[in-house]
Amino acid sequence: MPPIQAADPFPTRRSLLLRGARLGLPIFMVYVPVGAAFGLAATAAGFTLVQATACSALVLAGAGQFIGVAALASSGNLAAALIATGVVNLRYLLFSATLAPHLKGVPRWHQVLLAHTLTDESFAVNIADARAGRAERFSMTGVGLISWIGWTLGTALGAAAGGAIGDPSKWGVDFAMPAMFIALLVGQITRRREFVAGALAAAIALALSAWLPGQWPVVVGAITAATVMTAAPR
Amino acid sequence: MSPALAWGLILGMALTNTVIRLVPIAAISRLELPDVVHRWLSYVPVSVMAAIVATQVLRPGGSWMLTSDNPYLLAAVPTALVFKFTRSFLGAIAAGMLAFLALRYLLG
Repeated sequence: MPPIQAADPFPTRRSLLLRGARLGLPIFMVYVPVGAAFGLAATAAGFTLVQATACSALVLAGAGQFIGVAALASSGNLAAALIATGVVNLRYLLFSATLAPHLKGVPRWHQVLLAHTLTDESFAVNIADARAGRAERFSMTGVGLISWIGWTLGTALGAAAGGAIGDPSKWGVDFAMPAMFIALLVGQITRRREFVAGALAAAIALALSAWLPGQWPVVVGAITAATVMTAAPR
Repeated sequence: MSPALAWGLILGMALTNTVIRLVPIAAISRLELPDVVHRWLSYVPVSVMAAIVATQVLRPGGSWMLTSDNPYLLAAVPTALVFKFTRSFLGAIAAGMLAFLALRYLLG
């Protein structure tokens, strides 16, 4: 988390957008290489540069895109590929619901924009900022836009480079997303009860992971842990 | 891959993803939620992140890796420590990727 900045007494839309973009800069730095890995994977599966880039710009869902493209390339079945990506992206229902109370009174068009740029990372940054009482719709938009630019730009670069940069895993890109999630997770744990909730959700997700497809273990684990922690005496 | 199939996937994924992400925001942001729901929602971020991290680190690529030479698990430690003490996302990610590369090299 960047150091807390003194509140600007008269923030303009521009200063709020820029503040959000600064908050989202680490996301950009991760999305460019991981987006490039998607660009490579998509072109290897038969997408053109334009298709791969449009996919990232319009969909903006890391794992969901990898799985959708892989499923389509292996089965040729569009419905199966769409179901696979939908299941992977179910956790966004929870993120969207969690963010909703912070978006009261936000115009519908702006809700659509914020929903489109809602990713694991932009959500984690925005919800932490909102709970600190600082986030509002333009700073959230800044976080979302810089994430979107990083992901789309990275995809275009990866698709354009094609085989020229070789296998991205040799640069450690495999660990870029996990590392981001680990940092986001550590940032979320501020109280003992949050630690307990996380441990419970992780245990349930792992126990179910061999039985349920896609992100169902994560979704079921998180719902169960949140319910148990809400019901548990304080 | 035929252009129709590729564009079908792109537009289909765009539509599903936008619906999944927009419907709760659009529906819930108009409501006054009771405190118990706010409390429930307050546990969602940490629960989802922890479940994702546990799966990525202990089941990389979708199968169990419960061994002491699992580079994902080992590299998670410096990543978490660097973030805890510096609060720098970039520092933590850089440390994590370097540790991951070094571990994968050392562990073969």
